[in-house]
Amino acid sequence: MSVTMIELDGVAKHYDAHVAVADVTLGIHKGEFIALMGPSGCGKTTTLRMIAGLDQPSAGEIRMWGRRLNDDPAWERDTPLVWQSYALFPFLSVQKNVEFGLKQRGMPAGPRAAKAREWMERMGIGAFADRSPSQLSGGQRQRVALARALATEPEILLLDEPLSALDPHLKVKMQAELVRLHRELGITFVCVTHSHSEAFAMADRVVIMNEGRVQQVGAPRDIYRRAGNRFVAEFIGGNNIIPGNIIGHGADGLAFSSPLGALSVASSQPEFAPGGEALLVISADNITIAAREAGLSNEVAAEVTTLDFAGSSVTVFLEAAGGTELRAQMPLRDLETLSLAPGARVFARWAAADGYFLRP
Amino acid sequence: MSGTLGRVLRGTFLYGWTALVFAFVFAPILSTVVFSFNADRFPSLPWGGFSLQWYEAVLADPTVRRSLVNSLIVAGGSAVIATFIGFTAAYVDYRFRFFGKSAYMALASLPPTVPPVILGVAMLTFEGRIGLSGTLFGIIAGHVVICAPFAMALIRMRLNDLDRDLEPAAWNLGSGPWKTLREVILPFTAPSILAALFITASVSFDEYMIAWFVSGLQETLPVRVLAMLQGQVSPRINAVGSLVFAVSVVLVVLAQILAGRSLGARKQK
Amino acid sequence: MSTSPPATTRPRSRAERLRFAAVLGLPSPLWQAAFFVVPLGFLVAMTFWSVKSFRLQPDFTMANWIAIMKAGFFHNAFIYTLWLSLLAAALASVIAFPAAYTMAFRLKPHMRRLLVFMLVVPFFTSLPVRIYSMQVFFSPQGIINYVIAPLGLGPVQVLNTTTGTLIGFLTLTLPLVVLLQTFALSSIDMRLVEAAHNLRCGRLRTVFTVIIPSARVGLVLAAALAFVLCFGDYISPQFLGGSKPPTLSILIADQVKSGNHWPRASVVAVSMIVTLTVVLGVLLRIAYGGRKA
Repeated sequence: MSVTMIELDGVAKHYDAHVAVADVTLGIHKGEFIALMGPSGCGKTTTLRMIAGLDQPSAGEIRMWGRRLNDDPAWERDTPLVWQSYALFPFLSVQKNVEFGLKQRGMPAGPRAAKAREWMERMGIGAFADRSPSQLSGGQRQRVALARALATEPEILLLDEPLSALDPHLKVKMQAELVRLHRELGITFVCVTHSHSEAFAMADRVVIMNEGRVQQVGAPRDIYRRAGNRFVAEFIGGNNIIPGNIIGHGADGLAFSSPLGALSVASSQPEFAPGGEALLVISADNITIAAREAGLSNEVAAEVTTLDFAGSSVTVFLEAAGGTELRAQMPLRDLETLSLAPGARVFARWAAADGYFLRP
Repeated sequence: MSGTLGRVLRGTFLYGWTALVFAFVFAPILSTVVFSFNADRFPSLPWGGFSLQWYEAVLADPTVRRSLVNSLIVAGGSAVIATFIGFTAAYVDYRFRFFGKSAYMALASLPPTVPPVILGVAMLTFEGRIGLSGTLFGIIAGHVVICAPFAMALIRMRLNDLDRDLEPAAWNLGSGPWKTLREVILPFTAPSILAALFITASVSFDEYMIAWFVSGLQETLPVRVLAMLQGQVSPRINAVGSLVFAVSVVLVVLAQILAGRSLGARKQK
Repeated sequence: MSTSPPATTRPRSRAERLRFAAVLGLPSPLWQAAFFVVPLGFLVAMTFWSVKSFRLQPDFTMANWIAIMKAGFFHNAFIYTLWLSLLAAALASVIAFPAAYTMAFRLKPHMRRLLVFMLVVPFFTSLPVRIYSMQVFFSPQGIINYVIAPLGLGPVQVLNTTTGTLIGFLTLTLPLVVLLQTFALSSIDMRLVEAAHNLRCGRLRTVFTVIIPSARVGLVLAAALAFVLCFGDYISPQFLGGSKPPTLSILIADQVKSGNHWPRASVVAVSMIVTLTVVLGVLLRIAYGGRKA
């Protein structure tokens, strides 16, 4: 079903002693929207630049449709990039900017202008054709950058932090627009971002990177529900990570001894067996809060410390026995029915099947 | 000491002093121009009436005319070559990192700090050996040495304002390095390239020391002026001087406007 | 589905890049080597040549060095040129400072820009003509004497004196020194000055305890450049100082133009370069020394 378009095979990039990318092996499918995500310095932008040929790999191979790409200079690849800074040519009009790539491909002036017009209209910047980029707003510049990259009708579009320079309200709008554009064009989008909300909102698959290595690849939902390692669990946020020991088999699965007491985990992870240390991960939105004890397993007495409102959803920070911090995420409406306030004594609980183990 | 009196005195001293410094700097230029129109033989007060006779005398002088033509050729040639060399050095500095770069940059920027009299002797002894002395190219060769660093500095300053992503963006859109140089770097640095042409032309046009040593029979205008200076005080010198000033003032003002505009463009961002 | 683009083998990509770098990188060093380094090297070699019956002969003799180093006129010229250039650099720095201070701290930005714009111009205009104009100003029947005579002063005798040379040196260096000092002062962090005032440091004391130390690098560089310009200047000592006594550049010109003794002129030139290097080294140490403390 999915056809691999670009393969990165053991790709690395060193600058003298500094390792930007340690070892990346990854397949990018034709037509997918894939996001490379990680903290700054994780090597995501360098990886993108190597695909574009702007940086040369120190090791490994990059292939496109099975053909080695490493030695092709940047100007002979069809891998247009939308720059974080937009990198529009300040001495050219918007139209000339959009025509730039077509001109390099030897398209005559007439068809070139027509094609540029078509893309400017499509991106909603037709009215600015003769303006200088310096006269445009950030959002408009972004559209020029997109039109310029797409005008050559490539099979792949590279985006480097495309939303980071935009105002928050424009960010959301542009996010939806990129998704729509991707669906309409049907080409491959490779997008670098440090924001998991952006990556999870837009991408079909997310690649999480850290220290020059791929940590996990998967659909946003899968990553969110099953972080592959501790770094991912912490990086994507919203997880409770509880250290402890697996001590035996219980009624609902494995029995787990932790600072919160004895917990039970219905784990389908055969690699975790009694007799070892592990981390228990429970997503914040899987934890519910009740005013009264119900006598269930995985029920912990705690005190509300802080409430963090983010629109219609709330994160409740709790302090449980032994000072362990827990967080629960719930709709604002639920909070109102519970009438929670800092200092309230409550019970946090979760289903045994909602927790999973990670190696410490 | 503070209070109103102190402030007034301080202000008077500072502004008065500044005015005197400017008067000292500009008086020679202004008086040259003013006395070039004076009918009297000796340039002094009282004013002897308005006259264009010294300009007529100067422009009729074949040695002045020949040296002016030589100067224009030398200034034009030096400006073009020095700006080209300065551009390449500025771009290399902007674009590449390599072993020995500091030596490269020292060679590209230090020559104007060597006194021209020394350069003059050195050029004379060297060019005499290879048959270049006494030729216009011999002068140009020396002028390019001291002009190229000025061109490099101006163009390098402009390149400082070039978005580091712009060149890679052009490559990314299919434009090779040469094409990118032509379609991105040249248009972007164009104002500073013009400014460099004007500044180097003016440096070469006014250079007298290397030219004096090397020119032989091919006098340039400053060398002619030097010869006139060694003779009698003459109002003709004021007329030639005013012409020389006019040329360099125009060149330097144009260069500054062009360089200033490119700096102004940066501030708008 | 797309098929793969036409296969191109490309070991040439690297060669192409190298050619690009070479074509752009070579013009500057090649030209400066051919017409700057080689002539200066030639100048050094020339100091060991001999002159036999008015003809230059390649040789390896110390005779020129010995002759020049023993000559009283060289000693005199050397010391005179050195101290006069140092004096001029110091004088120019002192005279320029209040003007630069005014431009940097007192004037509105557009006015400052205008004055900077103006000061750049004389630096690029003919020095001989400006010096000639000064000659006229200070001549016995010149404007200065004309103006001060009714006041019962003068006539002043400036031409063909050391004062005359100094006036020429100031004509040469003042625009540049004012400019460089203005840039140096403009880049001072104004919060330091405000902090000094806030700590009850008076205006004049702030100048000496905060402003001058903060701008030290720029101020010393300006003085250093002024020194270099004066040390090598030929026009001022010749036409305002009347070459009495001669400076090193006048010695060079005389040896070449009339004496026709190029090797000895080369010795003087090389000793000038050595002196410049030493003095500049000292000045740069003063400018940057102790910076990291």
